Amino acid sequence: MSAQIIDGKAFAATVRQKVAAKVSDLKDAHGVTPGLAVVLVGTDPASQVYVRSKGKQTVEVGMNSFEHKFDADTSEDVLLALIDSLNADPAVHGILVQLPLPAHLDETLVINRIAPEKDVDGFHIANVGLLGTGQKSMVPCTPLGCLLMLRDYHGSLSGKNAVVIGRSNIVGKPMAQLLLNDSCTVTIAHSRTADLPDVVRRADIVVAAVGRPEMVPGDWIKPGATVIDVGINRIDIEDDKTKLVGDVDYDSCAAVAGAITPVPGGVGPMTIACLLANTVTACCRINNLTDGEDFLS
Amino acid sequence: MTKKTVNHRQLLGAPVRDHIIDEVRTYVDAAGKMGKIVSIAVDGTAEVEVYIRNQARMAARVGLDFDQQMWSRDITQDACKSRIQDMNDDPSVLGIIIQRPLPPHINIRSLQSAVHPLKDLEGMNPASIGNIIYSDIALVPCTAAASVEMIKATGLALPGLEVVMIGHSEIVGRPAAMLLMAEGATVTICHHMTRSVAMHSRRADVVLVAVGSPHLIGADMIKPGAVVIDIGINRIVTDDDTSHIVGDVDTAAVAEVAGWITPVPGGVGPVTVAVLMRNAKTAHMRQTQIGWRA
Repeated sequence: MSAQIIDGKAFAATVRQKVAAKVSDLKDAHGVTPGLAVVLVGTDPASQVYVRSKGKQTVEVGMNSFEHKFDADTSEDVLLALIDSLNADPAVHGILVQLPLPAHLDETLVINRIAPEKDVDGFHIANVGLLGTGQKSMVPCTPLGCLLMLRDYHGSLSGKNAVVIGRSNIVGKPMAQLLLNDSCTVTIAHSRTADLPDVVRRADIVVAAVGRPEMVPGDWIKPGATVIDVGINRIDIEDDKTKLVGDVDYDSCAAVAGAITPVPGGVGPMTIACLLANTVTACCRINNLTDGEDFLS
Repeated sequence: MTKKTVNHRQLLGAPVRDHIIDEVRTYVDAAGKMGKIVSIAVDGTAEVEVYIRNQARMAARVGLDFDQQMWSRDITQDACKSRIQDMNDDPSVLGIIIQRPLPPHINIRSLQSAVHPLKDLEGMNPASIGNIIYSDIALVPCTAAASVEMIKATGLALPGLEVVMIGHSEIVGRPAAMLLMAEGATVTICHHMTRSVAMHSRRADVVLVAVGSPHLIGADMIKPGAVVIDIGINRIVTDDDTSHIVGDVDTAAVAEVAGWITPVPGGVGPVTVAVLMRNAKTAHMRQTQIGWRA
């Protein structure tokens, strides 16, 4: 048996199409163009690549993109003043501060300065609490992407045993909340879990988000289970070459699983697509157009 | 009175409560004037009055001023909100409690969001919940935190423990799961859509139940030696027409199997109000830290 491959790249393209259609609809019917502001401090090469990619895709779906770039030694006051002005700007519906920030800046303080309704990363403490109590919130992009792929593959997730490996604020915790909201029985496993293989073997759905290359082998996977691999790890192979691998050992897991996301080409492409979708959602809510908010389903 | 036999498996709330109350009392004695706790009820029932009386008694024990407010049934949502906002700005108010249930025309979530996070003694503001999820344990939902205190009272180390939380309410189940995860436990959250609760609960070192269903958990669902924390409070009427308070666990049967079990009443309940008082202490510390108080 070999698993069905969940093609994140293709699925992300359909999400972007839906976003583009909704953007066009918002322009025609309401004269509103969703706008995403991305804030980058410093010159971290990976962050620059992300920001460029986000800006490009934002424009491609017909939205306005606003980029704000600052030197690495920018003061907290300057950054907070910018966020205040973006909060007040009616053309901006989503605000994303690219992380990590330079060490002299307090990430928590900066993120919590963003108006919760414009917090398209879903990291504002109020959004975290709203999601954690099953209320309407902005949802972090990577776990949202995982959820959309799971819903697309399974239809209803109700009653399934889901195991989330990793309890990070960015992926593991919000993923667990989303699966609970979709009526899964959820176990959150992590570095302190006593018998991880045993815990993972119970799962109909496994979401691996630990950042350790190929740590989940195929013999931990229940036959037929769905495996979502959030990890992106660069490892050395022979001849000074490197390659990207996930947190699961793809070949052995694919031999057992019912469905699996590859790395690259699985969860990764979904993240920016969900960022665009969140910006549209924020735009709808800010303009009280909440009836059209579930444009993804 | 007949002499009671001591049941070593019973995990009683009173000693845990008293320990927390002593700790808060010591803090209040040293801090001096801390401001008052305001407890708000709208058109309260007799049951709500019992809760409030209990809060007032615990506040007196730790030495905090307690202001009990009963608002009339016809108060509007906006009026509630604006009164709460005034309390947020009032330095003589240390913290705020909103009694449930409220009349149907009042939106409880909106009021909980209106309470400033640093005055949110019940830990129900979304920002308070968010902080718990991010493992910044400050103002915690009282029943959830009380349940964790009961587990700690067994002396077991939480890291690596297999914990099954049955019930995923926003007030108890979900925050308790997050608190236990932050302590290093491996937590599984079950609920009414879970296919086989027993399959999960039988494996667990600790089972917590908060669903509001009398005798839901029987002995066959518990691993021998496990800790059972019963958070349910149900009023049942027996054949002889007397009414009793029971939990979600078939206590007599489960006590034969479990290593520890909390009784109802007398288990988690008494600790809940003590945690409310500890939240008052935490609120004072945080308010002082950010310069609201000298």
